[in-house]
Amino acid sequence: MNAKTARSAQKLVVHAVLIIGAMFMVGPFIWMLLTSVKTFGESTLVPPVIFPAKFQWHNYKDVTAVLPFVHFYWNTVISSVAKTLGQLLLCSLAAYSFARIEFPGRNVIFIIVLSVLMVPSQIHILPQYMIMKSLGWLNSLQALIVPGLFSAFGTFLLRQFFMTLPKELEEAAKLDGCNHFQIYYRIMLPMVVPGLIALSIITMLWAWNDLLWPLVVNNSPEKMPLSVGLASLQGQNLTNYPVIMAGAVLAIWPMLLLFLLLQRYFVEGITLTGTKG
Amino acid sequence: MKKWISLAAIAGLVLAMAACSSSTGASGGSGGNGGSGGGGGGSGGDKQEKVTITYGLWDQNQVPAMQEIANKFQEANPSITVKIEVTPWDQYWTKLETAATGGTLPDVFWMNGVNIIKYASNKMLTPLSDKVKSGNISLDNYPKSLVDLYSYNGTLYGMPKDFDTVGLWYNKKMFDAAGLKYPDETWDWSKLRDAATKLTDPAKGVWGMASALAASEQTTYYNTIFQAGGYVISPDKKSSGYDKPEAIEGMKFWSDLIKDKLSPTVAQMTETAPRNLFESGKVAMLTDGSWAQIEFSKNEYTKDKVDVTVLPQGKKRATVIHGLGNVIAANSKHQKEAWEFVKFLGSKDAADIQAKTGTTIPAYNGTQDAWVKSNPNFHLQIFIDELQYSVPYPVSKDAPKWQEVEKSTFNKGLSGEIPMEEAAKQVAAKMNELLKQEK
Amino acid sequence: MNSTELDLPRQPVLDERKQAKKRRFNPRTRGDYFWGYLMIAPTVLGLLVFSIWPVFQTLYFSFTSWGSFGNYEWTGTDNYKAMFADPMFWMALRNTFIYTCVTIPCAIALSIVAAVLLNQKIRGVTLYRTLYFLPVVTMPSAVAMVWKWLYNADYGLINYLLGAIGIKGPSWLTDPDIALYSMVIVAVWAAIGNNMVIFLSGLQGIPVSYYEAAAIDGAGSFKNFIFITLPLLTPTIFFVTIISLIGAFQVFDLVFMMIGPNSIVIEQTQSVVFLFYKNAFMLNNKGYAAAIAMVLFVIILLVTIVQMKLQKKWVHYS
Repeated sequence: MNAKTARSAQKLVVHAVLIIGAMFMVGPFIWMLLTSVKTFGESTLVPPVIFPAKFQWHNYKDVTAVLPFVHFYWNTVISSVAKTLGQLLLCSLAAYSFARIEFPGRNVIFIIVLSVLMVPSQIHILPQYMIMKSLGWLNSLQALIVPGLFSAFGTFLLRQFFMTLPKELEEAAKLDGCNHFQIYYRIMLPMVVPGLIALSIITMLWAWNDLLWPLVVNNSPEKMPLSVGLASLQGQNLTNYPVIMAGAVLAIWPMLLLFLLLQRYFVEGITLTGTKG
Repeated sequence: MKKWISLAAIAGLVLAMAACSSSTGASGGSGGNGGSGGGGGGSGGDKQEKVTITYGLWDQNQVPAMQEIANKFQEANPSITVKIEVTPWDQYWTKLETAATGGTLPDVFWMNGVNIIKYASNKMLTPLSDKVKSGNISLDNYPKSLVDLYSYNGTLYGMPKDFDTVGLWYNKKMFDAAGLKYPDETWDWSKLRDAATKLTDPAKGVWGMASALAASEQTTYYNTIFQAGGYVISPDKKSSGYDKPEAIEGMKFWSDLIKDKLSPTVAQMTETAPRNLFESGKVAMLTDGSWAQIEFSKNEYTKDKVDVTVLPQGKKRATVIHGLGNVIAANSKHQKEAWEFVKFLGSKDAADIQAKTGTTIPAYNGTQDAWVKSNPNFHLQIFIDELQYSVPYPVSKDAPKWQEVEKSTFNKGLSGEIPMEEAAKQVAAKMNELLKQEK
Repeated sequence: MNSTELDLPRQPVLDERKQAKKRRFNPRTRGDYFWGYLMIAPTVLGLLVFSIWPVFQTLYFSFTSWGSFGNYEWTGTDNYKAMFADPMFWMALRNTFIYTCVTIPCAIALSIVAAVLLNQKIRGVTLYRTLYFLPVVTMPSAVAMVWKWLYNADYGLINYLLGAIGIKGPSWLTDPDIALYSMVIVAVWAAIGNNMVIFLSGLQGIPVSYYEAAAIDGAGSFKNFIFITLPLLTPTIFFVTIISLIGAFQVFDLVFMMIGPNSIVIEQTQSVVFLFYKNAFMLNNKGYAAAIAMVLFVIILLVTIVQMKLQKKWVHYS
């Protein structure tokens, strides 16, 4: 009896802690939504009102009138998807080769590839910017995509997956006369799907949210992704928070939706890689 | 052993690549401009092709009028499409410099007095004098001070777009509530302070006046310095005026407002911009430019609750006058089309659109009256009246550099980190140093 | 992104050497070489151009000085001299260190608590996990904006709530003594979900038998946590620490979006990467910026090496 009440009391405490935690985690999102439908006057009332007198949905229209959100979506979606698909292809090819094929200099090249992981990305930005400039790629989708296609991290991650596969598989295939590309494509690739999913999720998340690189290369509103568009919104409207919040909501909902649909894969992706970009 | 050899080979390769590209990078930077300029001439001859030119600007409030002008231009020139690109003021100059370095400047863009010499002297802009001459355009149509502002070494680089002066905007509702008479041309600094004292109510979180130095030098201390009888830069552009007692007085006007709690603090105005505070009835008075009228006339709150009058006088009356220019990027591939557009932007037709939409005071002589009449709710005439005692916006070749110093140092003076007098003297010292390096 | 190299050196390398030796005597088809090089070619060449060569390029830039609009000249070690004499640089370094050293322990502690609580059979556990994870998938620039609004000293929700319980809230983002810690709070908020799922998988890797043995000894749940859970979680803690360290040293979005280049507290909050960005792309001191990037590189390298060395002292591999 006593033990039972103690246990349920303990559960109650646990729930209380978790609920307070959840409010801390989710509160900002709720406040963002609520603010986004207020007038500027309402948003600066003290004490604050929770719900606006009238829902100001036109804030969303206003923010899309100020900035070309259609372009932002297009640029963000195209560049994130292209980067993800490109990395999946190129990294898996290289990873397969590093894991399953013997060729001279393999280990040296692999260590050089790994050394890239030790370098903070800021080191690359200036020279990459100069490359983009000399190619005439500033303010283009290529600038957002191409430098992100080559990933030492993705290669390393997928290599780990390829290494775990049994040798018998490819030996059998070789007897059938398959070359390495065929083995990679027909036999091995389908077996590392969990790795591919993890890499896609991480690359997608990172590409969607990245700020520094697009801020540097794409300054024309037609070519900006959402993250940079948000930054320019802040300068634009001074501190008109309801409109700014409407812009923020527009920028985050696609990723949130994707997360709610593919929750398991997001969690697996993060667990496998640890990275948050 | 083998490993080390291939490692060394790769390292050598990498070094070689680094070395050879850096040398081409150094010479390529200047060579690139000439090359693309030549290419521009070639493609300009091809008339039939559809051409899109970009028009870079920073003020969202002006976009509707600019779009209307662009539409009208496109009607007359069906082969040219104009695409407007807005970059917020906060980021405009940073991005412009990045774009200039990267060779991606918009074909046509807005220029201001602070930056014109920097861009013109670095050959980033297309000279317009010859085109003006061969296009039979009379520069007498524009105020001479604006033509001078956009000329460098006797060559015109920007077509005057508009001009602006600064007024004292006030919230009628708050004046009524406090039982005070509205500000008018009889006001001086002390009257403004008296009214601000009566309008301030800390309990309600409202202030009489916004000391909005961080928002803009043009709407704030550049005016009071001249009103106090001082100057920002000497007429020969060789020395700073910030260490003179008059200029210090002009600066103290603003820091005193904060010290006496008649204005929100610098921190508060960093978090909520002065214009937003004014637009939500938290601040009763704000000095802002003629260009603010378009925003205030559209804002739900301010459109019928505020009005404007001339700046209060100090030792004398003064307001800074400034104007924008439309310029063409030297490496634009569509020089001919860009010039057609700039020519149109400088025409009376374009000026009329700017005026009747209330967007900004057009530079084209004789069109200003339409702007004044565009919004009968505000006494816009005062911006034109102020012309008689207006002083040119102070600039020099490296103005952006010393403006950077002004910004960071005066913020400290305003927040009380150092006395304003000290801040002004620091700015003077640094500015004199920078002016010495100017050639 | 450039992070997880951790469990790399464990098995593979030795294996491969053995295999290579064994196979040397086997006849080798030229096809193997061909496919091997062809398949790595795109990634390796791409990395050479976009990642490896730029390191040397940046190193070279760090010895140059840039004029307006892209011309530069060799100036030797001037940038480094100027940097070490620049109080702004030391300030940025200090800010970055404080930010890192406060954020990481707080985020790890809170996420372990969250993971332990959510590793039980209680009602709504999936919902809690989902909610805690939301910040991870939210764009940092949007996160910065909403927190900026919450932090607003006059109209922000946080100061209102504090006021309601009788505390006068500070100027979160404009008080030079506080602004840095305001960023830390947001960083912790954003990291909890990320770390939590890693710890959850770490917790699930702890065999139940340990707890059963402890139950026989009559240990309470707190004792269990201290003497079983925590030591067995140290490999995961180490992993998360390394990842977080590298991320925290590169903080940029929060400073840029929440504080902003024109803020009065920017000197007290700017990170090394922000200083890099400011010099490279706002002030056009690209050579100086390159020097900052090189120093950041060296610091991250040193910290990672030190961590790797220290791990033997406190990480238990079972």
